[in-house]
Amino acid sequence: MIELKDVCFSYSDIIALDHINLSIKTGEAIALMGANGCGKSTLLKLLNGIISPNAGSYEFHGEEVTHKKLQDDKFSKLLHQKIGFVFQNSDTQLFCSSVYDEVAFGPRQMGVGESEVEHRVNDCLALLGIQEFRNRIPYHLSGGEKRKVAIACVLSLNPEVLVLDEPMNGLDPKTQRWLVDFLKKLNKAGKTLITSTHNLELVHEISNRAVLFGESHTIVADMMTEELLKDVELLKRVNLVDTYYQYKISY
Amino acid sequence: MNVPLQVFGTLVLILLVSLTRSFVFVIIVNVWLLAVLSMTDPSRMVVILKLSMGITFFTAIVMLPAFVLGNTYSSIMITTKVFATITAMGLLSHSTKWSALTQALKTFYIPDIFIFILDITIRYISMLGEFSLNMFYALKLRSVGKNRSKYSSMAGIAGTVFLQSKEMAEDMYHAMECRGFTGEYHINDKSKFKWRDYLYIGIIAVFFTLFIYFGRV
Repeated sequence: MIELKDVCFSYSDIIALDHINLSIKTGEAIALMGANGCGKSTLLKLLNGIISPNAGSYEFHGEEVTHKKLQDDKFSKLLHQKIGFVFQNSDTQLFCSSVYDEVAFGPRQMGVGESEVEHRVNDCLALLGIQEFRNRIPYHLSGGEKRKVAIACVLSLNPEVLVLDEPMNGLDPKTQRWLVDFLKKLNKAGKTLITSTHNLELVHEISNRAVLFGESHTIVADMMTEELLKDVELLKRVNLVDTYYQYKISY
Repeated sequence: MNVPLQVFGTLVLILLVSLTRSFVFVIIVNVWLLAVLSMTDPSRMVVILKLSMGITFFTAIVMLPAFVLGNTYSSIMITTKVFATITAMGLLSHSTKWSALTQALKTFYIPDIFIFILDITIRYISMLGEFSLNMFYALKLRSVGKNRSKYSSMAGIAGTVFLQSKEMAEDMYHAMECRGFTGEYHINDKSKFKWRDYLYIGIIAVFFTLFIYFGRV
């Protein structure tokens, strides 16, 4: 489904991704892990077509995604309909004057008729349990509520792939648990999940495969999440954990 | 009530009050506005009245020399017109959400993208204001004794707020792109007419008729 071959990206002279080779199949639940500044968010932006690689190729469903192709409105809309991105900071993702308009934004941009838009918005609000926020101003919501609205905004496009950048950040434990259960349901329903996270306690619940980035901005490990979490030496080597980290899995 | 109609009605009322030469007409409008005000929330009424009375008082002070020199009629007309205008605008702004007001501009064929930029600007003024206030508190807490380089600190805050706003704008654009935005922004006009709106149209028509009648008398 997603194929990255020798992908490199730099912000001016600063290397963010260095010869990344990654293959993601339909229905997988993948966690991107690594220390701060290793390139996880950059990779997520690349997958969503926000940036294009300086070298290498990115293919989605066998078709190469390039900067030139993304200039074509039709191609861009098609890609963004298939891959949904939940940003780390919900504030930047919520820009409409009501939650209803926020969730309706994506389908309206895709040219969906208004009755279908209303249907989708109602479904998404019900799915996330936020029907009472329908007419509220997104900016006035709490952190957890904003995260739910941001997810609803993306789900209204019914994407095949859901990309989440550190979705647990700033959420209380109860909301984190809710999000984990929700993501598990989405993956069971057939959605491909790609999550970037530092939360080592919950990562094994939202992914079965983990891709570990090193400080050299390359992939140092690509294995089952539980196996990666057990490899404490590897996690210490990439500066993700320190001497006091102890691997635990709670069932 | 239908917000575009409210905006249109308020603008028409203000226009009629500005153009009229009849003191009776202005008084009728003022009585009507005070009657509407009396039916609003007491707290909202106090806020609107404070604003209207304050500006009217200021206008009266400004018109005082003209009043003393014999231009009685014009001075009183201008003062009462100011009261009517401010009260009408106060009623509109306090009874309607800002986002609904900006979306009502669509009815007046203002381009959608302009309305969107206006909406976002208002929202981000508030967000960046909060951000710069937090930075100011952080500066205050870290300052020991007297700060002789206040201006360079303030310049630092201003510069950081500018960079932050640039970053937020870029992130927001990316978020819009990821949801299919390709340059065209569409606002959905959800306004529908109810019986109150037809009553409001009737009232505006009555004022228009009175304007013409008192204009001829």
